[in-house]
Amino acid sequence: MNETIKAARDIITSYDGRPLRIMEVCGTHTHEFFRLGVRKLLPEKVDLISGPGCPVCVTAVDFIDEACWLALEKNCIVCTFGDLIKVPGTTMSLAGARSQGAEIRPVYSPLDAVEIAKQTPNRQVVFLAVGFETTTPSACLAAKQARELGLKNFSLLTANKTMPNAYQALVGSADAFIYPGHVNAITGNAVCKKLCEEQGVSGVVAGFTASELITALAVAIKLLDKGEPFFRNCYPRVVKDEGNPEAIALMNEVMEPCDNEWRGLGLIPGSGMKLKAEYAEFDARIKFAMPEIKGKPNPACRCGDVLQGKCKPSDCKVFGKGCTPLHPIGACMVSDEGACSAYYQYAGIV
Amino acid sequence: MSNTVTLAHGAGGKQTSELIEKVFKAHFSNPEFTPDDAAVLPAPGGRLAMSTDGFIVSPWEFNGGNIGKLSICGTVNDLACMGAKPLYMTCAFVIEEGFPMDKLEQIAAAMEKTAAEVGVKIVAGDTKVAGKGQCDGVFITTTGIGQIVDGADTSGNYAKPGDAIIVSGDVGRHGCTILIARDDYGIESDVDSDCAPLWGTVETMLGVTKDIHVIRDATRGGVGTVLYEIAGQSNVGIRLNAADIPVDDRAKGVCGMLGLEPLYLACEGRLVIFAPQEHAEALVAELRKGKYTANAAIIGTVTEENAGRVIMETEIGTQTVLPQPKGELLPRIC
Repeated sequence: MNETIKAARDIITSYDGRPLRIMEVCGTHTHEFFRLGVRKLLPEKVDLISGPGCPVCVTAVDFIDEACWLALEKNCIVCTFGDLIKVPGTTMSLAGARSQGAEIRPVYSPLDAVEIAKQTPNRQVVFLAVGFETTTPSACLAAKQARELGLKNFSLLTANKTMPNAYQALVGSADAFIYPGHVNAITGNAVCKKLCEEQGVSGVVAGFTASELITALAVAIKLLDKGEPFFRNCYPRVVKDEGNPEAIALMNEVMEPCDNEWRGLGLIPGSGMKLKAEYAEFDARIKFAMPEIKGKPNPACRCGDVLQGKCKPSDCKVFGKGCTPLHPIGACMVSDEGACSAYYQYAGIV
Repeated sequence: MSNTVTLAHGAGGKQTSELIEKVFKAHFSNPEFTPDDAAVLPAPGGRLAMSTDGFIVSPWEFNGGNIGKLSICGTVNDLACMGAKPLYMTCAFVIEEGFPMDKLEQIAAAMEKTAAEVGVKIVAGDTKVAGKGQCDGVFITTTGIGQIVDGADTSGNYAKPGDAIIVSGDVGRHGCTILIARDDYGIESDVDSDCAPLWGTVETMLGVTKDIHVIRDATRGGVGTVLYEIAGQSNVGIRLNAADIPVDDRAKGVCGMLGLEPLYLACEGRLVIFAPQEHAEALVAELRKGKYTANAAIIGTVTEENAGRVIMETEIGTQTVLPQPKGELLPRIC
């Protein structure tokens, strides 16, 4: 164990002040906190809660239904980030659609989907554009590239989300946020600083190694103990105040803000991104004249409360019984970054 | 002979004989290789081990090997895990119509080379040709018989509290190689498969001590899956030290990008060994001299508590469960 980790450990384990609730917003952080067993270090007075930062977990049921409709009714090749495949829709997941003969292809990047469209000119290819500021620029790049190539068989089904308005919706659910380093690397720190200055919302930006993550947590605990609102960038090697202007410019060129449905959190005004009118030919909803598809989440599932830190996964009635990683009912049980999946897999040791 | 495999090559007539003669016999020839319905072999003494394994890998060729090498290694390693010196093998091919003949030769040549390295004889085979689209290139099934070395007695049931757990090299490289070779994710890496025949490795270990409780080769599901199998079979707990698990930097890179855990990725030339603590250092020292096992390491110990589970000592000094591997590996989004 190196000295940095040791020092951070000491700060965390020796905390004995007022009760604290700290929310890690990012799904990758959720996963790493569990993998590292960080909760085992926490004194009783510190509660670490998992926020809505796993893109898979906040993807609405409607979106999965729309994707299945494109795959089964319109016979499109549906390209997607892998962990979306098992997310349940109203009646089936994309894996379910695949077993009915739909062509569902996991890809690592939206540009791979453009390549597939190039190679299969006689089929329509749709990329499922989900995720936050980290993945949205590459979806925009895919739309641009498809236009440059003159592709007529490529489109995006968008459910891209942006973090700033989600932070606003989460104000009050924790004493401090651990902000996702890779999101801030794109957006910069202005939004987080403003939240701190205007509304007294505290937070730290964290990186992803064991040392970066545990240090950020220690900094949050130490500063919360002092009582003043704070913002600290604990990931300065990657996150700059101004963010990544090129990526922001690219997003603004191709997409524009829209209201967006978050699984669990409901409709958050201005929290989504959709293709601009001049890119309408790459918008799958327009291209295939998609009817309005309204999904019905399983009523027993409490992913919504979990995502807002209102309950622990183990408080949900179906957790570990009807709902397991092999047979997920809610989205939080699907991805390794989902709070329910992490609770389930690390059960007994968290 | 034609440049590609045709349905006629599987019909049992002249073309079949030609295929066997020119491709398989040319590479597998040995005194026991039979032109009859079954190979007739001298009976070895002592206990025998026998195993069979089917191979369908896409793509059939990858950095560090091909399906031919894999089909020999897989069965050889299964036998070796029981302390058995591989003696004889059979192989059954299902070849897709239209498969290039020169590629089939490459596969047979890889099998010949790998079998020769181990000293195992291919004594019988079968060839079927499937119509275009009915199989993906070439499927191979191999079966092997080996003679168990006197005094060797290994089984997944034999892990005991206090045993040291050794891996014979860095983990997860074959899985990474196949992911890269499939080119589904647009990532480039020169990571190569660990695919290797390991009878020599086991023979070396048995030379150090016969007192080895478990040897298992980590294939599908990786080392993580093997550890859970043994924990269940022997009803013991397993404690790993994260910092001690050898992972190649290239595999680390691929796994980092795709959000995959190297412990769950396939290996094709890695053994997981459970042996009494007092032999562990000597076994690792000897393994590190071997060409396939230079990165061998002790990665953990067997415990009485937490039976059936694998517990990991993490970088920050806590203990967590290593989640049990599940189903299809799907990369994370970010």
